[in-house]
Amino acid sequence: MSSKTTVGLVFFPAFDWAISPDHPEREERLLYTRDQILEEGLFDLPEIEEYRPQIASLQDIERAHICVPSAQEVITESHLIAAGGTMTAGELVLSGKTKRAFALLRPPGHHAMRVVHGSRGFCTINIEAVLIEYLRKLHGGKFRCAIVDTDAHHADGTQDIYYNDPDILHISIHQDGRTLYPGTGAMDELGGPGAYGTLINLPLPPGSGDAELLYATEQLVLPLLQDFKPDLIINAAGQDNHFTDPLTNMNITAQGYARMTELLSPDVVVLEGGYSIEGALPYVNVGIILALAGLDYTGVIEPELPQKLIDNQGRLREEVVSNVGYLQEVWSRRKEKDLDLVFGDKEYVQRKRRIYYDTDNISEHQSEEIKRCPSCSGCRRVYSIAERHYGRLVKIGAVLIPWHACRNCRHEAEEAYQQLTTEEGLDHIYLHDPEGKQGDEG
Amino acid sequence: MSYLVGIDVGGTNTNAVLLKNDVVLATAKAATDHKHLHLGTMQAIASVLKFVPDSVDKPIELHLSTTLATNAVVEGKGAPTAAVIIPGPGLRWEELGLAFKLFPVKGYIDHRGREQAPLDHNQLEEVLAEIKQSGFEAVAVIGKFSPRNLQHELEVEELVTRKFPELLPVTLGHRLSGRLNFPRRITTAVLNASIAKIQAKFVSMVQEVKDRYNLGRIYLLKADGGGIDMKVSITRPIETILSGPAASLMATMALVEEIGDAVVLDIGGTTTEISLFYRGEPLTERDGAEIAGFATLVPALFSRSLGLGGDSAVNYDGHKVSIGPWREGPPVALGGPRVTPTDAVVALGAANIGDQERAIQALKEMGACYEIDPIIMAKKIVTAFSLKAAEAINEIYISLNSRPVYTVSQVMAGENLKPDRLIGMGGPAAYFIPKIAEQMGLPFTVLPYHEAANAIGAAASRPTVATTLRADTALGKLVVPELDYVANIPRPLLFNLEAARREAIAKTITYAEQMGTLFEPSEIEVTEEEVFNMVRGFHMVGKNYTLTTQVKPQVRRIKKHRDEMGEDSE
Repeated sequence: MSSKTTVGLVFFPAFDWAISPDHPEREERLLYTRDQILEEGLFDLPEIEEYRPQIASLQDIERAHICVPSAQEVITESHLIAAGGTMTAGELVLSGKTKRAFALLRPPGHHAMRVVHGSRGFCTINIEAVLIEYLRKLHGGKFRCAIVDTDAHHADGTQDIYYNDPDILHISIHQDGRTLYPGTGAMDELGGPGAYGTLINLPLPPGSGDAELLYATEQLVLPLLQDFKPDLIINAAGQDNHFTDPLTNMNITAQGYARMTELLSPDVVVLEGGYSIEGALPYVNVGIILALAGLDYTGVIEPELPQKLIDNQGRLREEVVSNVGYLQEVWSRRKEKDLDLVFGDKEYVQRKRRIYYDTDNISEHQSEEIKRCPSCSGCRRVYSIAERHYGRLVKIGAVLIPWHACRNCRHEAEEAYQQLTTEEGLDHIYLHDPEGKQGDEG
Repeated sequence: MSYLVGIDVGGTNTNAVLLKNDVVLATAKAATDHKHLHLGTMQAIASVLKFVPDSVDKPIELHLSTTLATNAVVEGKGAPTAAVIIPGPGLRWEELGLAFKLFPVKGYIDHRGREQAPLDHNQLEEVLAEIKQSGFEAVAVIGKFSPRNLQHELEVEELVTRKFPELLPVTLGHRLSGRLNFPRRITTAVLNASIAKIQAKFVSMVQEVKDRYNLGRIYLLKADGGGIDMKVSITRPIETILSGPAASLMATMALVEEIGDAVVLDIGGTTTEISLFYRGEPLTERDGAEIAGFATLVPALFSRSLGLGGDSAVNYDGHKVSIGPWREGPPVALGGPRVTPTDAVVALGAANIGDQERAIQALKEMGACYEIDPIIMAKKIVTAFSLKAAEAINEIYISLNSRPVYTVSQVMAGENLKPDRLIGMGGPAAYFIPKIAEQMGLPFTVLPYHEAANAIGAAASRPTVATTLRADTALGKLVVPELDYVANIPRPLLFNLEAARREAIAKTITYAEQMGTLFEPSEIEVTEEEVFNMVRGFHMVGKNYTLTTQVKPQVRRIKKHRDEMGEDSE
């Protein structure tokens, strides 16, 4: 092993897997990226070493998700490899084999929520969450992590999984939800009663470019990370905020992306979306790899770069400046916040949501009860009903025990689960316990 | 009846072998004369040709494995070479860390082979004038993504021909390899250009004596174990590097039946070369040969060098025997300065080389202050040798088994390479191979003809060529870079995989004929095939195809005579 190796690249283009033949998430997606990486000779550089992804186990998947009816039923082999490859990237960094790692693979995962009935936003399994839960298990829960999600779409799946988890800081910078799927990710979404302020959403107005992304990185992300002091920083690197992306309206360039990577210096980068497979991905990915390796990326320029973007460099939208200022304020005062004003003064916080699975055409109705606990982040009870287009309804009940649960919450959760076993009309019931045996050896 | 001569020019000796069909008629040996490589070669040829009956009047085919190109590269004896590069955007060329003189020219071809910016002819002319003035003797031209669009490289060649003919011939990157890797393509083209004159001189000297000895076709062995017509090698000399390790593997294939998943060790004085077989086929390097720290795109058989040989220096610190990686001289038994593994074998009475008493005395001195008996010392050394070899083999398999793969089915298959037997060759092999095999718990074979094995390998090889076809039906373009072939696809909607295969095979046949390769049409095979649907905005706009096609590498099986049989376990 060369001591100069700084970047471990887990490259897995899944050349034999697609959601459907003409779907954006298809075989061809990373073809041109591979060609560009090969032609640039990146695998020969002493700073870069390529690794084969491991195959995640069903247990690894179930640590992050409640799959309905089971992990086995909702995933394909490609999901096990994408999740496993992300785990490989994390292992490379934590073992010290490489300084940083890049899981450049597909399919992506950041729209996959805790409860999984199928695929939404091209995602079935949240690969970042699989990695984080694996590392937490490995470290007996003594592991804090920050995710900076820069995909143009709001990372609603990752947000859902870590909604009430104070050990995970989740920052999503995305195109304003009022103009793009999935619609969520407004600035007032700040996390549950047990983790208030550890969910940060910065919506960017359509048309935002490098200036806005870099301003947000420097003024918001970096200070928050410095404050939070995570053991690991993950960048969920969706590349659909590129000016050539067919699904979004953003103006980021390869240079902007590479500079952001350099500023952030994440431990692990995970590819999320990005569907300008010829005009963006080959250049953005080479830019990210070079930036991670500490090499000169200033020569990575897209052929289609319009003069307008070059001329606009440095011009910053006022709206972003004021939003960043607002979120800085929210962050610095998060601990003083009177949570009764946010969640009411009852012992249990109620949430009711309708979640649409665009990829698989499933409607899910979810209701949830979160205990407000002074000693831990609180146990939760979830009911979820999924309605498939021509299928029958599937109804599940689940009880979630948080990491570092206090004795009361653990006891209460176990009782609640006992109660679920007697409840009529539930097709499946689940107990999710990261520290217990259930979520692990079952 | 056909007669064939195989020659292997090694570091120390030049070995020759005369074949009559599949039977070895004679072997001969001469010292290698590094200053006059062709003289030693001719001497070796002459000494085996004595055994050809006078009645034979058919020209005799000659297969040559020579260190000419390897040495020229390793010793840096090539001509001063300028590289005209067309890097376009991406990783900056200054960051490539290449030790060549690079002259960048503006122009930009993208990953699909589309011209994004034209070649700057004014700048090019200035650069060529500077190259001419600075006294460079050779020129290589390499564009980023040139195998996808040859135009810019061809434009440079055209300008050189028109205005700077004294710089001809130039080496164009796309003709040497259709694979993607710009830095490796630069290295390959520059090395090729730099040794072209040395190669041409050698070829002309061999040509001179061709008639004197009634020689027919002459082939040089390539790093991939195939042969290349000697005349063609003048334009592609870089393909003949590392023919030594290739010759060993060809010999293995010629002499051993049912090779299976063997690991092959060629144990020499200073190093051991390790190569692998998988289901009877030799493993090849994924990207290309590496030589003297240069990473190239030259197709090559997989081989790793370990600093462990019969003459490696041995150290003992009272706890641990360490061997190599250096050689400090011949074994003590032959008057050398330092204990070697060979001395251990001699002391144990397992080989009859030089003075056994001196070997035992040296081992006694080595073990004296630790009160170790010389015979025990010798056994320790042999064990350490076997352990070091076994560990190195193990590491190679571990690294090969973690090689990335790009499809779900390949990951799920999780195919793992694992050796099922050990094959050895080289001077010290007879003694050490059984020990290493025992260490690894594998059956073993030691090759017969160990001195002439590489010459047999050269003789057993057959000429090969390979081409890369790239067809992009959305652009309506088809390119075969090695052949300078560019065509429009007349009816892109009717172009399919069958058509791509037909075209690739036809082009390989044309190319093989141009290269003077003899083959049967049935020997053409498609080795790699990649097809992608190209979808834009939910509509399929075309497909792109990448196919690699070759004249199948084949080996002439050589009969093993009972009295020449190697030592086989079981």
